[in-house]
Amino acid sequence: MRLARGATEDCGVKGRASGNIGPWVAILAVLGLVGSTRADVTVERGSSILVFPKVISDAQGLLTGGIPTETIIQISNLSNSLAYAHCFYVNAAPLDPTQPAGVFNPPQWIEVDFNIVLTKQQPTYWVAGSGRRVDPTDSLCDRSIPVLNCSNAGFDPGLVPAVPPPFVGELVCIEVDSSGAPLNGNRLKGEATLVTSQTATLNGNQIRQGDASKYNALGFVGLNTDTNSNDGNLTLCLGGGPRPGCPIGAEYNGCPETVIVNHFAERATFPAVPRSQIESSSVRTEVTLVPCTQDFENQVPGTVVVQFKVTNEFENLFSASTTVNCWANLRLSDVSRIFDVNVLGTRFAQTRMTPGGAEQGSFIGVSEEFYTDGLSGLSRAALNLHVEGERAGGDLITVPEVLP
Amino acid sequence: MRSLLKGCAAVAAVCSVVGAAAAQVASVASDRAGAILVFPKVVVDTANSAGRGRLDTVIRISNTSNEPVRMQCFWMNANGHCFNAPGIICDPTLSPRDPRCPANSFCVPGWQETDFIVQLTARQPVAWLASTGAVPCADSNDPAIPCFALGTRDQRPSPNNNLESRVPAVLEDPFVGELKCIAVDQNDLPAEKNALKGEALIVGSDRNASNNFDVRGYNAVAIPALVGRNNFDNVLVLGGAGAEYAGCPNVLVLDHFFDFAQDPVTSQSIETVLTLVPCTEDLLGQRPVSMPIQFLVFNEFEQRFSTSFRDFSCFREFRLSQIDTRSNPTYSIFYAGVAGTLTGQTRIRGVAGNDRTRGQTLLGVAEEFRAGGGSASFQLHVQGSRPQSDFVYLPFQ
Repeated sequence: MRLARGATEDCGVKGRASGNIGPWVAILAVLGLVGSTRADVTVERGSSILVFPKVISDAQGLLTGGIPTETIIQISNLSNSLAYAHCFYVNAAPLDPTQPAGVFNPPQWIEVDFNIVLTKQQPTYWVAGSGRRVDPTDSLCDRSIPVLNCSNAGFDPGLVPAVPPPFVGELVCIEVDSSGAPLNGNRLKGEATLVTSQTATLNGNQIRQGDASKYNALGFVGLNTDTNSNDGNLTLCLGGGPRPGCPIGAEYNGCPETVIVNHFAERATFPAVPRSQIESSSVRTEVTLVPCTQDFENQVPGTVVVQFKVTNEFENLFSASTTVNCWANLRLSDVSRIFDVNVLGTRFAQTRMTPGGAEQGSFIGVSEEFYTDGLSGLSRAALNLHVEGERAGGDLITVPEVLP
Repeated sequence: MRSLLKGCAAVAAVCSVVGAAAAQVASVASDRAGAILVFPKVVVDTANSAGRGRLDTVIRISNTSNEPVRMQCFWMNANGHCFNAPGIICDPTLSPRDPRCPANSFCVPGWQETDFIVQLTARQPVAWLASTGAVPCADSNDPAIPCFALGTRDQRPSPNNNLESRVPAVLEDPFVGELKCIAVDQNDLPAEKNALKGEALIVGSDRNASNNFDVRGYNAVAIPALVGRNNFDNVLVLGGAGAEYAGCPNVLVLDHFFDFAQDPVTSQSIETVLTLVPCTEDLLGQRPVSMPIQFLVFNEFEQRFSTSFRDFSCFREFRLSQIDTRSNPTYSIFYAGVAGTLTGQTRIRGVAGNDRTRGQTLLGVAEEFRAGGGSASFQLHVQGSRPQSDFVYLPFQ
């Protein structure tokens, strides 16, 4: 697209830092200036790392409280040049998915990675449970209604493996160059759609096939794309200053200091249905959180203690905490009783989530709400969480070697 | 010594560049608090008069700061009304015409604002239904409907209670339009408080049946104030020279399924509805802002199409395949059978035209509908900024 005079675009197409620039970047890092050009994660700008915190492929609803769910991943290239990405699925399903997760049935925490490549401005998609094969003979969409059976038409982005069923976990995609080295191109954007794959009934409430929640992937913007602060090694530095593993400080913007969610109190009534049904309607909220620090090389799950500070409509303050190992999908009522409407005392609340201590890394996430209409209907909607501030200490993502 | 001075000068120059960049940090976002909240789409139709089922919208806003924040909010009524029969509400986007209008009439697009004040105390979350509005709970006799919790009848209104808050219901039912909330001080002058966050839940439901129960939610777009820049008059300058608030994006980017594509999970037919509003709004003179919109579309083969919409003004809902066709969507470049692939990326740009004084930028939200299934809303991505400013003219002198 041709730009109007003076208008700007955000994408960068950059190489590695040159030897001449490195010392200046180091000086600026010491001065605390590198990394200050943009703070926090983003859900609506081109980025160099995409995180989809909630990916589910569970046709039987074993891990979703009985709601059969599948996830459609959409990623596109915002630039006019090729974009490469190295993606990681993290499987957080318990070893025995038919039993509740716990000490004797821990999450698998298995990582599987793959590569994708997107041409100029190319969008692509795949279904988590079926992946996407490289097949140039995929048929095109047909003009006659309703025959539009054209799954996978278009340039296949690469061989995307299907996740093993049932799957819950996250997807992380890191922009790389053609050699596989991390790159600050800020070319990637993405969305995930959680689709109810079959009509199901839970506690007398029916959720229809095709009821869907959609959220934008969280993006980490590569810093200083014009000078490329990325040293191209396998340790990705999210925020923070110079430290072991990050001699020049941040390569990407940092994780937030605070994650904020506006939500209904658990079991609160839902006022948007017809008046006669309000008293028997209800709302529940899930937040899905993942630590920002992740070590895919050594397969060490990130751990973070999450503090919840809840303010109700009377400005009363409540608090709670929990620990997130690798990945957690938390129903608020399972975190603490304080989220219950009878304890909170009001229908709406604002919850601020922060890491438990200065030595801890940060986390990001997404929320999903489930509503009943007071008769027999159940529906879902996902919302991106708000963020505030930037974690001073920074976080690290360590990726495995890509070359033999 | 000379080389040291040169080095320092270079550092200073780079620092100034970085500093300038840091000053430009603030940008519109749907995941951060801001001083202006834009909810691009609010719909109400409690009697299902438009044939889309019973619809209502829940507005949720909270104050992320430890200080009270006062908001001046504006309902923007974008209902159309029939020419020669202005009492009949109609949809100007229907083609060839809305059948609710008499035979000798047609639907005239409308745009009218109604404003109100909401006082939020520290960290306070509030919510209301667009169909009912909200009053202080002290004045409410219906506990099932959201109200403002803080304050009793024997108190006087203050920044530390909600007694000054009163949200009128949207003025018509059915209603389609926008909500905009602006942080102001106790004198109703703009305030540089980036403390507002919000979400909207659009709810479809049925009376005595669950056939159409469906909820979709999106985050409000927040426009942050640039601290220290506001001159506290009634013209809010968004981006560009003299900016008081962050500028609106140069381009909006939408990843979508092409219309009538089959959902690869459920095989249901998918349609996408895009709602756009201009960043510039004249709430004082009630002058509609018009501009052409350019759409640049890429399919999964990197094949490029483009189309445009000439008559955009104030507010518009588009089903994608009706942007470039009116009667037969199977000829649209947004039709999966034409595009040839299931998904596409569309870049959306308001055209500045000959008016070089205004940014002519857009904000919006997208909704995805599955035939026989449910729906989902999501935020558009944004790219870049423009050198021109957009302006919001507040209705006080």
